[in-house]
Amino acid sequence: MKIEISDHKGKKVMALSGEIDMHESPYLRKELMALVGKKTTPLVVDFQAVSYIDSSGIATFVEGLKGMMAFGGKLQLVSIPAGIMEIFSFSKLDKVFEIHGSVDDALNS
Amino acid sequence: MTLPWWNWHGTALPDMKGAVSITIPSHPKYLSVVRALTSRMAELADMPGPEVDKIRLAVDEACSNVIKYAYKGDTGRKIVVKFRVIRTGFEVVIEDTGEKTDPSFIAGRDLDDVRPGGLGIHLIKRAFDVFGFDEKKKKGNRLRLIRYKRGNNEN
Repeated sequence: MKIEISDHKGKKVMALSGEIDMHESPYLRKELMALVGKKTTPLVVDFQAVSYIDSSGIATFVEGLKGMMAFGGKLQLVSIPAGIMEIFSFSKLDKVFEIHGSVDDALNS
Repeated sequence: MTLPWWNWHGTALPDMKGAVSITIPSHPKYLSVVRALTSRMAELADMPGPEVDKIRLAVDEACSNVIKYAYKGDTGRKIVVKFRVIRTGFEVVIEDTGEKTDPSFIAGRDLDDVRPGGLGIHLIKRAFDVFGFDEKKKKGNRLRLIRYKRGNNEN
């Protein structure tokens, strides 16, 4: 998994690529929670190039969301591939996360 | 068709003749190897594409659970995964020599209870019709998973 963090119109976008599993989740957690710790909001997470996610990856985002909510921040997930969206839906987390179709949709929301 | 999880209780273990097996160190970096083999074996069992993805995730979750709970994060142990294409579907057996699985773990969390963790067991049970631990295994765990073939109108 690769993580690229960039600025778009003054807002942070975390672009992920590859597979997020038990091996990669600690790295994701470190990067995500560092941004949450800095109260980076809104934080847009781009899933477009993510090919796989397991429950440890999902749990990492739940933890990130809770950290964001603690100070009123926003965590926005965008461009989630259908196979991964199905897991969010199954776990009823599609109702919990703010999900957008693209980075621009999220930035303009 | 979804059967509840069950334990082998005085029932003979299945003959895994004809199985393909892989032994991996209990390190998370090897989970990708298990996923690749799981997908290919599920395809050989004629599982439909979306179901192959669910089965791959389920086997990954089961192996992750072995690392987390049976081996408590010890990356120097072994996990054996056996795959078998059977007439009625697809069978996977996962073996470890770690701590016995706590029955309370098998329930998972309520999906309405949004918190990190507790999702993996649901992802396993939705992919497989049979989910059972071999109670006769003296040391460690042996998890047996079976996914039956569906009719044309079932998923």
